[in-house]
Amino acid sequence: MSGTIRRLSPQRCLGLVVSVALLAAVHWHAPIAAQAPRAAIPDLAGVWDGTRRAHPINGPNVPWAKSLPEGAILPDGTPAGKDYVSNFPVLNERALAFQKIFDEPLSPKYDCQPSTPPALEFDPFYMEVVQWPDRVLLRYEKDDQLRTVWLDGREPTSHDYGIQGLSVGRYESNALIVETTHYVFDVTGFDDYNGIPSSQQKKVTERYWRDGEHLKATVTVEDPMFLRKPASYTMRWLAAPKGYKLQSFECDAEAARLSVQFIPPRYK
Amino acid sequence: MIAGLRISVASLLAAGVLLAAMPAAAHHSAAAAYDETKRVEAQGTVSKLLIRNPHSWVFLDGTDDKGQKIEWQIEMGGAPSMAWAKDGLPIGMAVKVTGHPSRAPGTYGITGATFAKKDGTPIGPRSARGDTPQQ
Repeated sequence: MSGTIRRLSPQRCLGLVVSVALLAAVHWHAPIAAQAPRAAIPDLAGVWDGTRRAHPINGPNVPWAKSLPEGAILPDGTPAGKDYVSNFPVLNERALAFQKIFDEPLSPKYDCQPSTPPALEFDPFYMEVVQWPDRVLLRYEKDDQLRTVWLDGREPTSHDYGIQGLSVGRYESNALIVETTHYVFDVTGFDDYNGIPSSQQKKVTERYWRDGEHLKATVTVEDPMFLRKPASYTMRWLAAPKGYKLQSFECDAEAARLSVQFIPPRYK
Repeated sequence: MIAGLRISVASLLAAGVLLAAMPAAAHHSAAAAYDETKRVEAQGTVSKLLIRNPHSWVFLDGTDDKGQKIEWQIEMGGAPSMAWAKDGLPIGMAVKVTGHPSRAPGTYGITGATFAKKDGTPIGPRSARGDTPQQ
């Protein structure tokens, strides 16, 4: 190595020094240059209309449909194409067994237990988005639910199990990404119209973005206890009428359970 | 008051179509409690209103085919969609109702209801007629 240096001319030495300096400079600045520009924060704030004006009312084929005729309105407000691809969840044997024995009066909604994702977002009511620096608040008319999406990098712990789980989020590609885990078992936690439960392993990933005057979201559910693969739907909200304020739901236990008497008993 | 049950041929045909279209394992809350392939007609006087969430209820005093007193329990939409009923269905008003009958034997429930006065004049906004409330 030293012999090689001795053979370099003064000009080559100078060139080497300049090259090393340039390389050092590039290396010094590389981490900064490689960083993505700070993620743009989309304006999602406001009161949003998720009623039948925005999308079809939920039911056995909405938002999860095995097949749809051409032209049927999808949850995102667009018409289904000729080659509609089913988004109905692929259930494992455990889920099918639960579905088989499911008894409608068991459904927690008859006792005013709140709806949870992936159904809560799609229930035909208004909801409000509030964006704070360290969190996003998702407030729903349906069942008076408030979800907090933490943006501060926290990780859920075993103390965070709850009916709405724990939500963490980030802004990415002009969208808000929300990941929710730590749900508790719910006998209709995936879908009450088709009697599909969800487990404590349910993970719901939501991507919210603005599409002109609309708010859109893709809701994806993973639950290895019941689903063979993730299932998802994309929905939209319309801007609420100016000045609209969310109404309190105040689920009434008497009104909620009254129709159970009309269901022919399945078990004694 | 007379409460009668009429099932048309058309509704039975519609039943077949609907049954064929419905998933075998469906547990639609309304379908579990009500037979959406049938229609029932009832008459009675409004005895009570429950304007609530998740669903509102209208109660009618009526009679069955044998003249025995019964109470019709009519499931409607949530409170926001029922503001019209406070004035539109006063207690004591005589009304006719058509809708889907409840499934359990011996019960007198209706959903997807359309209300009319005794002379047949519709009651309530068009948007509130015939809807099966979702829960």
